[in-house]
Amino acid sequence: MPNSFSAFDRPLRRRSFFRVAGAAAAASTLLLSGCDDSGTTTSNPDPVLTLGSADAGLLNYAYVLEQLETAFYKRVLDTPPADLSAEDKDLLTQIYQHEIVHREFLLKALQTASATPLNTVEFSFTSLTLTTRAGVLTAARMFEDLVVAAYNGAAKLFADATYLLLLGKIVSVEARHAALLHDLLQPGSFADATVVDASGAFAGLERSLTVSEVITEVNKFLVIKISAAGLPTS
Amino acid sequence: MNLFNIISELEKVDPEIMDRLSHRRSALSALGSLGKKMALAAAPIAIGSAFNKVLGQNNLADTTAVLNYALLLERLEYSFYDQALKAATLTPTLTGAARTAIETIRGHEQAHVNLLKTALGAAAAPEPANGFDFGGAFATYPTFLTFAQAFEDTGVRAYKGQAGNIPRDFSPTVGGATVNVLTVALQIHSVEARHAAHIRYMRRGAAAGAQANIMPWIVGKESNGAPAAVYGAGNPVATFPAEDNIMQATLTLTTGLGATYSAEDVSAAFDEALDNTTVTNIAKSVVTF
Repeated sequence: MPNSFSAFDRPLRRRSFFRVAGAAAAASTLLLSGCDDSGTTTSNPDPVLTLGSADAGLLNYAYVLEQLETAFYKRVLDTPPADLSAEDKDLLTQIYQHEIVHREFLLKALQTASATPLNTVEFSFTSLTLTTRAGVLTAARMFEDLVVAAYNGAAKLFADATYLLLLGKIVSVEARHAALLHDLLQPGSFADATVVDASGAFAGLERSLTVSEVITEVNKFLVIKISAAGLPTS
Repeated sequence: MNLFNIISELEKVDPEIMDRLSHRRSALSALGSLGKKMALAAAPIAIGSAFNKVLGQNNLADTTAVLNYALLLERLEYSFYDQALKAATLTPTLTGAARTAIETIRGHEQAHVNLLKTALGAAAAPEPANGFDFGGAFATYPTFLTFAQAFEDTGVRAYKGQAGNIPRDFSPTVGGATVNVLTVALQIHSVEARHAAHIRYMRRGAAAGAQANIMPWIVGKESNGAPAAVYGAGNPVATFPAEDNIMQATLTLTTGLGATYSAEDVSAAFDEALDNTTVTNIAKSVVTF
């Protein structure tokens, strides 16, 4: 297994460094001030972080997704919207705990494989409406659906069957989270047509997304963007 | 990893492994008889190799057998929901949103059956001649949901147990499109997990007895009234641990991740796989087919 990969694809150009630094500072300020969820979108068009290659890169890909989920749930549970019920909070707290276990386990897996974990990512959720129950659940549903589709698409890319099985053990739990969030928002929508094909030759199959499709979505919430370059595509 | 040691370990549980591997996996077929001799000569190492973990005591010979096994399980599930929706005993209680949800799930199972039949073509096994007899499963609404939870959770474990038995580069043409069979299996697997979560959520509702202790995920090996074997260990236990397993890749996750996590959260964070023999035995313990 290749174990030499860099978290940084190339040095930050001076100008984009300042743009990123400025955006990060703006995001922190927003978060610290408790803030306005409809704030400005932080953006840096140049992907500057890479995940690595082969299985280690794929583990990093999963690691970033689990970091995204934990950062999101932490943000929500730190300052929950007033209309989030006690039962909602209990369910989201359990989900949050599962995601922490996934995140920490993947970190260990990366370390065991002598790979460099990409743990310098910084998220910004200012584009989401997190001041209402509906907004929180809509965002949570989107993240869980995204992760399931990501793992469905990435599984075949692993060279080591051990990782494939471990990913399988995680993805069905993410699907359980996703189904619950669908139901909490709209009862009975646990496997609606937004995620499971309702007709056609592939009816009954859940979405599967490529690494690059997923990274495009993840980048919307990253202060410094990630590039999918280097990861296997088939 | 040391392939020869792995094969040596596999041969202890499956003496014909080289024969099966050599015509099943092109990557391994290159080893030929030289590989077998070296494998036999290699000193045994600790168990837990990649292939051992994945294959275990599964005894399905090839991808066709794996797909026919999936087809049987999907037919069982489709028949279960179809009979439930037609059962007079459930007519007064399986109504409204609950009926709509079960119709949705039945539709997915039907779609899975159709897809697998298309993929298998002439190799598709026939339906069981006498169909499926679910005994008293439809007696009451709560009983029906208990059985449903058992079938969905077992289905999730069953697909996971076969993931490593499908060559990841096996991408035949099905209905005019190139499909990666492993990806399709995962795309079915996550739908079954969604079904399981929803059935569990339904059991929390008033009509099913307001069982608020039932979570959409599996906590420990709590069976919630379903057969205990659904959440128990498979064979071999090291490869297919029970759902209360807290150890992944030789690491104890409650204490080995730098902080302490509860056994409930750790076990719920990972769904476990199950070998086909155990899955079939579970099915046969509650269904006649």
